Amino acid sequence: MAVLVRSPLPRLRALLQRCWGRLERSLWPGVFGGQNPPWGPALAVQGLALVPQGINDAGESSAEAPSLLESIVWMAAPKQRRTIEVNRCRRRHPTKLIEIKRNIDVCPECGNLKQKHVLCGYCYAKVKEETRLIRMEIHRKEGGPFNVPAVETVVLYEGEKPTEKDEGKRIIERARKRPSWFVQN
Amino acid sequence: SGAAWARGLLSWAQPERWLASGSLLPLSCIHTSTSLQKSMKWEKKNRIVYPPQLPGEPRRPAEIYHCRREIKYSKDKMWYLAKLIKGLSIDQALAQLEFSDKKGAKVIREVLLEAQEMAVRKHNVEFKSNLHIAESQTGRGRYVKRVRCHGKGMFGMMKISRCHYFVKLVEGPPPPPEPPRTGFDQAKEYVQQLRNRTLVHTL
Repeated sequence: MAVLVRSPLPRLRALLQRCWGRLERSLWPGVFGGQNPPWGPALAVQGLALVPQGINDAGESSAEAPSLLESIVWMAAPKQRRTIEVNRCRRRHPTKLIEIKRNIDVCPECGNLKQKHVLCGYCYAKVKEETRLIRMEIHRKEGGPFNVPAVETVVLYEGEKPTEKDEGKRIIERARKRPSWFVQN
Repeated sequence: SGAAWARGLLSWAQPERWLASGSLLPLSCIHTSTSLQKSMKWEKKNRIVYPPQLPGEPRRPAEIYHCRREIKYSKDKMWYLAKLIKGLSIDQALAQLEFSDKKGAKVIREVLLEAQEMAVRKHNVEFKSNLHIAESQTGRGRYVKRVRCHGKGMFGMMKISRCHYFVKLVEGPPPPPEPPRTGFDQAKEYVQQLRNRTLVHTL
């Protein structure tokens, strides 16, 4: 990208002259040659003796509200920057590292991993899905809110007939084979 | 534009498959990339091709490099998970990550499964369980500064941090962990240091 450079010398020279003039006037005020007369007081008026009273006021004001200032002064603040070595010692201390878990086993039903004191996630998800479908059937049968019958419910799968024990109970039909984990009474 | 020109000039000098004989070193005195450009060095490590092994040499274990970039998580928090799985076999690592409550655990688990699949498909690994984690590291991703509003109209600047995660899987069982250094070992080393002292510039 070509940039047109005109000769900057006359402009630059004028700028420098102006700067030097300002500098001269500021450093040697009387020497310039009389065109700019030196600064002097145009009007002298006796000023009020405010200075000693001003000192007293400042002292009083500082004595009046010391509690606020002092309480700010004594707050805890770090004195030195913590170096990265110190930071690393703190962040990588064994107590801060994650411990490896030794309570993981294999679920005998599905073969996925499970924690010893917790139900297997996969098997629980299967049961949850089946329960959701049963609940949908119940909802369809009831047809609306507040229609819950005052009897027990029995879930029957394909090819199952209600027995004598299921005489007065509400029957929910599910159109699939009975899952192995849902034991029939 | 100067960096791009230099990169274009040297592109022929960096072939895609360079032999890992050790004698060929890239020119380290010239900067061919700026800090704003993404560095893809970890991905390139999968492309090195070793010369064929001689009949007597022991079999070189397969190495698989995989990474994920710009994960929305803090690199310091991710480091704890990376430190957890360093040196474990891949099955153990997957088990630990499955039951960890951290957000990064899910991401690292996906990365490990991807790497395992890559190993079996492309890198000639026979058994997918015969892998262990040789290296696992985190890196800083691109940070973004945003305004965080406080009360009374005050605000501070927060940074939304992202991180990268790098993993290197090596075929074979995990190496046995180092036995902890006992006082007896330290004493032996001290005595050895004393015995190694000699007089210099003498007969």
